[in-house]
Order: sequence, then C-alpha cells, then structure tokens
Amino acid sequence: MSLNVDRENTAFTFKGGMLPMTVMELSSADPEEVEAQLSGKVSQSPAFFQHTPVVLSVEKVDGPNLALERLCAICRSHKLLPVAVRGGGESAKQSAWALGLGWFPPVEARTHTLAPVPDAEPAVAEPVAAETLVAHGGRVYRGTVRSGQQISAPEGDLVVVGAVNAGAEILAAGSIHVYGPLRGRALAGIHGDTDVGVFCHELHAELLSVSGNYKRLEDIDPVLLGKAIQVYLEKDHLHIEAL
Amino acid sequence: MAKIIVVTSGKGGVGKTTSAAAIATGLALRGNKTIVIDFDVGLRNLDLIMGCERRVVYDLVNVIQGEATLNQAMIRDKRTENLFILPASQTRDKDALTPEGVEQILNNLKDEFDYIICDSPAGIERGAQLAMYYADEAIVVTNPEVSSVRDSDRILGLLGSKTRLAEQGKEQVKEHLLITRYNPHRVDHGDMLNLNDITEILSIKLLGLIPESEAVLRASNQGVPVTHDDDSDAGQAYADTVSRLLGEDVPLRFHEAQKKSFLSRMFGGRR
Repeated sequence: MSLNVDRENTAFTFKGGMLPMTVMELSSADPEEVEAQLSGKVSQSPAFFQHTPVVLSVEKVDGPNLALERLCAICRSHKLLPVAVRGGGESAKQSAWALGLGWFPPVEARTHTLAPVPDAEPAVAEPVAAETLVAHGGRVYRGTVRSGQQISAPEGDLVVVGAVNAGAEILAAGSIHVYGPLRGRALAGIHGDTDVGVFCHELHAELLSVSGNYKRLEDIDPVLLGKAIQVYLEKDHLHIEAL
Repeated sequence: MAKIIVVTSGKGGVGKTTSAAAIATGLALRGNKTIVIDFDVGLRNLDLIMGCERRVVYDLVNVIQGEATLNQAMIRDKRTENLFILPASQTRDKDALTPEGVEQILNNLKDEFDYIICDSPAGIERGAQLAMYYADEAIVVTNPEVSSVRDSDRILGLLGSKTRLAEQGKEQVKEHLLITRYNPHRVDHGDMLNLNDITEILSIKLLGLIPESEAVLRASNQGVPVTHDDDSDAGQAYADTVSRLLGEDVPLRFHEAQKKSFLSRMFGGRR
C-alpha cells in the first residue's frame, strides 16, 4: 500500500525542488588565477557575492593535481558558498565528498556552455553564436498540465502539447514551448541561462520568467492576452512579443 | 464485478452529495444493484439527502473497525429497489478511515453490486484521497465559476496520479465532467462561466449538465433524491446523465436560455 495521505505528525517530507544555481565553470585549475579573477569580480558586482551557493564545474580542469580544497577556500573567502562539484573523475568525486560537498556527474558531450551569470559579467559580452544547439535532456509532455502539478525539464527544453492550467507550474533549464493555452506559471532558464525563451499559442500566464526575470499577469500588456507570443530576455529586461 | 465510481470536486458545496444520491438512484431505477457510500466522515449528509437519517445504526467507520458487519451497516432504500446506502460516521473524523479498511469493504461489495458510488468529501486530503483511490471512474462535479473549475482541475491532477489505477500505471481512471447549478440566463449575462469555457479548461468529456433548479433544494430538504422528480428539469437532467453513464447517446438539454412563452409569462409557469 503506497497511498500517500497527509499525516499531521510527520517531522518532514521529501520534496523535489528546482532551485536556480550558479555554476562556476573552471577553465583554469591554478588557484592563483582563480583568486585574481574572483577579486576583480567582487569589486565589479559585490551584490552577487552574498554567500551565493555555487556548483564548481571541474570538467575542463580535472586532473590528479586538482586542488579542490584550496579552490573551495578561495571561493569562501570571497563569499561564494561551494555546495557541490560537477564532473571530473573518481578522485574529484572522492575529494568532493571528503570536503562535505555533493557531486554531480558531468553533463555529457555538452554542446554549448551556459551563458555567464548576468550581473557577474556586466562589461564584457561573450561572443554568442547566432544559434546555440538545444541541450539534450529536453522533455515533451503531452496532455493537460493541471492546477497543482509541476512539470520540469531540468536539463533542456520543455515542450507541452496541451494546455497549462491556472495553478500549474512548468520549469525548464532551456526554453519552454506550449502548444496550447498557457494559464499557469512558466519559468525558463532556471539554471541561469539567459539565451532561452517561453513560447505559447495562447497567453493567459500567471507568471512568465526567464532566468529569474519575471512578469506577473498584472504586468503583462492586456493586448497580448490570448495571443500567440514569445518571451525573451534582452539587456536584463523581459520582453513579451506577439508572434 | 461492480464498477467503482467516485463523485468528487475539490471544492465544497458544489453538489457532490446531491449528485451522488441522484445518480445512484437513477442507476438503481434502471435495475442496477447500486450502493452509495458516504466518505464524508464527521460531516455526514448523504443520509439526509437519501431520507434515511432515522434508520442509521452503524456506519462506515464501525465496519472498518470491526464493530459491525457490512450487512448491519447497509441501509436498504425504501423507495428504490436495488439501492443501498452506507452512511458515514458523524462523531469521528477522517483519520478513522484506513486504506486497508476501505479496500476490504469495497472488495466485499464488489461481487454483490453492479455499481459502487463513493461520495467524496470536499478538499484534497485523506478523506477525498481515500474516496478516489480505488475508483474505476470519476465524476467531477463543477459549478460554472472560476474557483470551482480550478479546484476540479486540481482534483483531475490527483485522479491522474494518486489513485490505484494511476499508480499501477496500466490505465487511467475514466473521468467525467458533471456541471451543476448551470443557469443559462446568468451565463448569457456573463455572471457565470459558459459550458464551452469549462469544458475547454478541464478538457474532459461532459457527462451531464444540471440546471440551477428549485427542485434540487426541495428534494434535499425532503430527503428524496431529485431523480424521483421526473417533471423537474434537474430530475430529467440527472436521468440523462445516468443514461450517458450507461453508454447511451443522449442530446444535451437545459444549456440554452429558453425564451419564456407568452402563455407562461401570463400565467407565471414555473418550469
């Protein structure tokens, strides 16, 4: 019997959650270099460094001499809180665990890099290819997403073929496409990817968000309601546009 | 083997118990051996609607806790052959229900009856979840207003995940939409959601539409399910609903505002 009924006297419940997380993708394993660059960033945007949880991605720099402990200490001294390590081999995994950090498997054959966190990189815009390949791990959901349901694509795009009703929530690391009326909440770019969007056939959304920038139904121009639209981020500003 | 049908809605006061009583009566009137079970432990109402409140001795919780047998607790309806009622307890709360106990009762009833109608309490907690857990089919009762539609949407989500059929992953609970308290005049004035809006949002098949009717309140207070009132619009609408539940193709009625005829305006015809 696996009937899930609410009991008042439980100490806790486990719940799946999708939280925005900053990934610090290391391209150098040299602690001095990391330290120097971090110091520069702190002076540029101190607001970002408020015990922000980060995942250290060591995919590019993994090796026997990876000074994970040292790197973590540097992060902490700049008010970044390493919570997990991503990628690397067995030794990276073991040292992450020894340091009390979580370990995530590498994102295999990544075809594009995450766009940098916007307020950490205000001055230099990275050259963005005209077209970034859609990350795999996307998800296609067929049917109505109902009030109280949450459908997510933690690693790619989410496509819903059907309606998303009021009180429902859909999330994706990549873009969100709804082939039907969107009445609930849609959050794209939940890991900070800014080069993603929300697309739907009929806009009635309670909330639209791209990479943490959001608009509530109240903020949406009523002219757009009921229309086919796209939502995208430009200069930290959320744009909603009829298609 | 009986078909287990849950009558549910999420929101309270939309007409679950009235509908459960009316549909159970309609099924029994057509020769199906039917039992209607009140799952609203602590807020027992079904016995009043069915007019058997003075004959309740034992209830669902007594049976679950082994204090009475099923046969002692079941009440035979006086008006309709083939119809039985299993009342809820008024003095207990919903924690007295256990999944094992409910399963046991349903298993015992399954061989004897053609239809088991479970009248769900409002809400989405234990009582409502237990009422729907073993269902083969669900009748989702909705009023033409936004809060009711949203709650029904939530219930439909639970029907798709928190039922035995859903957990086994073999098939879905068959979902039917029943719209109650529909008033075409008020829909035309924009006071109420219209039929198409509701079916579009919930996107399940419409089983029936019951017009807002004086007959329903009268029936409740008299303790006679409205299905017995053949002359009333609501009585006929429930009869249509039962026909569709049995697989007949019946055209929809009562969904359009009728212009009052000259004569009925002159003489104040009620229906």
